[in-house]
Amino acid sequence: MTAHFLSVEGLSKIYPTADGKPGTPVFEDIHFAIERGEFICIIGHSGCGKTTILNVLAGLEEASAGGAIMDDREIDGPSLDRGVVFQGHALMPWMTVLGNVAFATKSRWPDWSKAQIEEHCTTYLEMVGLGHAIHKKPAELSGGMKQRVGIARAFAIEPKMLLLDEPFGALDALTRGTIQDELLKIVRATQQTVFMITHDVDEAILLADKVILMSNGPLAKIAEIVEITMPRDRTRAEMHHDPQFYRIRNHLVDFLVNRSKSYAGSDAAQLHDAKHPPVVRPGLVPDGTPSGDNGGRPVLKQVVNQ
Amino acid sequence: MSLINPFDPNVKLHAGCSCGQHSSEAEHLEAESAALNRRMVENTVMRALFPQDVERRRFLSAVGVSTALAAISEFIPFGALEAFAQDKGPLEKKDLKIGFLPITCATPIIFAGAADFYGKEGLNVTLQKTAGWAIVRDKVLAKEFDASHMLSPMPLAISMGAGSNATPMVMPLMENTNGNAITLHVKHKNNRDPKNWKGMKFAIPFDYSMHNFLLRYYLAANGLDPDRDVQLRVMSPPDMVANLRSGNIDGFIVAEPFNQRAVYENVGFIHALTSEIWNNHPCCAFAASEDFVKHNPNTFAALVRSIMRATVFVNKAENRKGVAAMIAPANYLNQPPTVVEQVLTGRFADGLGQVRNEPDRIGFDPFPWHSMAVWMLTQMKRWGYIKGNVNYKEIAEKVFLATDARKRMAELDIAAPKSTYGKHQILGKEFDPSKPEEYLKSFAIKA
Amino acid sequence: MKTTLTFRAAVLSLFIFAMFIGTWHLATQAPKESAAAQAVNAEYAELMGKGAEKTGGFPSPEKVGSAFVKYLSDPFYDNGPNDKGIGIQVGYSLLRVGTGFLLAMLFALPLGFVIGMSPLMTKALNPFIQILKPISPLAWMPLALYTLKDSEVSGIFVIFICSLWPMLINTAFGVAGVRRDWINVARTLEVNPLRKAFLVILPAAAPTILTGMRISMGIAWIVIVAAEMLVGGTGIGYFVWNEWNNLALPNVIFAITMIGLVGMALDLGFGTLQKFVTYRE
Repeated sequence: MTAHFLSVEGLSKIYPTADGKPGTPVFEDIHFAIERGEFICIIGHSGCGKTTILNVLAGLEEASAGGAIMDDREIDGPSLDRGVVFQGHALMPWMTVLGNVAFATKSRWPDWSKAQIEEHCTTYLEMVGLGHAIHKKPAELSGGMKQRVGIARAFAIEPKMLLLDEPFGALDALTRGTIQDELLKIVRATQQTVFMITHDVDEAILLADKVILMSNGPLAKIAEIVEITMPRDRTRAEMHHDPQFYRIRNHLVDFLVNRSKSYAGSDAAQLHDAKHPPVVRPGLVPDGTPSGDNGGRPVLKQVVNQ
Repeated sequence: MSLINPFDPNVKLHAGCSCGQHSSEAEHLEAESAALNRRMVENTVMRALFPQDVERRRFLSAVGVSTALAAISEFIPFGALEAFAQDKGPLEKKDLKIGFLPITCATPIIFAGAADFYGKEGLNVTLQKTAGWAIVRDKVLAKEFDASHMLSPMPLAISMGAGSNATPMVMPLMENTNGNAITLHVKHKNNRDPKNWKGMKFAIPFDYSMHNFLLRYYLAANGLDPDRDVQLRVMSPPDMVANLRSGNIDGFIVAEPFNQRAVYENVGFIHALTSEIWNNHPCCAFAASEDFVKHNPNTFAALVRSIMRATVFVNKAENRKGVAAMIAPANYLNQPPTVVEQVLTGRFADGLGQVRNEPDRIGFDPFPWHSMAVWMLTQMKRWGYIKGNVNYKEIAEKVFLATDARKRMAELDIAAPKSTYGKHQILGKEFDPSKPEEYLKSFAIKA
Repeated sequence: MKTTLTFRAAVLSLFIFAMFIGTWHLATQAPKESAAAQAVNAEYAELMGKGAEKTGGFPSPEKVGSAFVKYLSDPFYDNGPNDKGIGIQVGYSLLRVGTGFLLAMLFALPLGFVIGMSPLMTKALNPFIQILKPISPLAWMPLALYTLKDSEVSGIFVIFICSLWPMLINTAFGVAGVRRDWINVARTLEVNPLRKAFLVILPAAAPTILTGMRISMGIAWIVIVAAEMLVGGTGIGYFVWNEWNNLALPNVIFAITMIGLVGMALDLGFGTLQKFVTYRE
């Protein structure tokens, strides 16, 4: 296999049952790759193991089998190379906003002076629009602002890859939109490689280059990888004018609503090659072509094997 | 006797001594005088034990000198005796901590501090007020106190390991005689015959106390079994007064000034002074561990001298008022001065509307009679505090340093009895210390 | 509105206090000396302390008040080893409590950390903690006196042992309960263990740990009074015993009030400290 920036190979996870015996794998034999500068979203229903995969990439959890290689090195524990934005912001409430980001920065560059650290942190906090609140405690901030601090903290260590665990799940739609725009802006500016979990189809279409679709657990698999073929300079305000948008959106929604749960018994599953999950580009399929209304078969036509 | 023969041709003129074992002649002299001292002490004891020369020689030739010495040192604390013999030497320890309980029995110990008798001997004594006898015992055993005020049966009990780990104690002098009373609740004003006291509850200050032994003796003499017919509870003196007020107990036997205090508080009356049971009975003592005496013989001697002087001073009737005023404040007894004064002068309100005049209510006599120790031991055995065969004389003589006390008293010009054993009258019954077992057998009521 | 409520509460408090003192005053009015009046003669009455301050029954608020004035007007006098001012006595007690408490802290915090971080240690040490915890601190006293052979050290040991458990248990509990997220943040930032312990776990567990310390201090202050009553020598507990020995109830009540006040001050201190480390989320 040629050197991808990150490649996940044969990953599976088994949790022990209550009586201590190994249970059914949550997912097994997961393979995928991420290139430098790519933005990957992963979508799937609860229980398919998305967060576990993210935690394995973060080095916070160990896989039962398989592993991940990033930048030619196997991931075997947490590292400053991968910044994580947690679902529940995970800010230390006893530190100020600046303190939280500085804690991360100081960990990355222990030799920096106080002023250096403060300057660096301020830059990132201003980037997420929190320049005015750096001396506040997290408790004084709204949910959106807290998550912004979390993002600033993750960016501040300038990691090789950013891992976001459903960062906007708890926010209201308006706030979510604003922060999505900001994230998009920063990611484009920094050419950051991102792996992100989301439940929000629109969010995935807006942000991602590729969307990994997971079938339902247990024994979850990568059902397919959807390439978002819309131009990369898309914005939230404009993207729904693009004809591709609804095709992609329908494809994704259809998967989540129908195909994700029936996947295990479908033809697609039988044809499934774990090492080479089908890559589809629903955005490029002209309107009128039946897509997704009778299982996975028509989709297979658009498979482009890598 | 000259120590070095000036004509001895073997006397070395260079460094070293005449015997060659010491680095200088001065050291040799010191060692020799110490040895001499020991020999003198041993000789004196030998002569005291066997006054008849013939008898002594027969004994020595029969068992051998070293065996005899070993046998005698079993029950005579030679260490302590030597301590007395050479007490003019430098003090081993100057800063001392001495415990006391805030009762009039401790008057000599306290007064020696208040009037700085200790200072005159070059000692710096801290008098530490202590909350109870068990704590006194523990603090002495823990070496927190160098010496302490104790109930006179305590050093005997501790030496034998009754109620504690066996630790050899010595008692160089008695603090006081008499100075206690049986106090009853005012409701028993007309219940003065102890024969009718069945079922009553009494408080005592400690198991190993003269109070306990005297009350038991008194009750038993009146036909009551103290273990079956009445309840005896150990209590601290202020608790006794409070419990008497609330009626939890019917009476108590305790050291002064708590009997007088109960009268003063209108809760009790003095039923009988303990002098009415046994006049001049021993009460509290001054005691230290044998270990302390061995390591600090000169300090110990100085301590004993200061307390003996204080004892003589406080015993004089004309000094009693002043002494009472001196020991009543919070640093010592912490009692109303009039209460302490009534105890020391013997002119007191009895709680029944009478003013009594008993100059012997409390006395201060340092002589630690061996016969009194034997009596205490008979009572400990009588009530089951000690079991098995008791070598009365051996223990009494080992703990009560009567022989030394006599010497010390002579030095301070205090009249001391000729013998360390005497016969005592207790409620009209004679106690002969030479026949302790027979005395024990004569009691109908015992444990 | 808030000030008026405070004001009204203060007025009510004062009123309750006045009622309390008034009732106390009325309840302790001494009946006219009836028993002593029939005293046989003047000398007897004199010896019975007629006219002198006596402790008969429960003391009146006036007597207790004068005890307050007497001791508080000269709190640092020193009349020898057995009679010192209330300030000195409280100082001795605080010194003992402070020493024992500090030692317990030095022991309980690190050990609590280890227990809290390791489920294995929690399981292994739990039986010991469960057995030792419910033992009354004063039950250790004779044992301590006997083995340590020093009443001062024993007193401190008893404070140590009674302060230990709440601190140990709360530290372990607080450390074990630190949010997984915060630990994960520290892990992904490759924070070294010492920095993690002091910058993440300690502040996160601080409110729980401080609650334990506050409970410990409360217990320690109760225990020191009892221990000093037992061992004597110095301290507020000894003061109580010494005044009880004189059956001087006004002084005893004064000392009890002081114990309460100092205990309250200690608790308030820890309360403030607790507020300081408590974080809002």
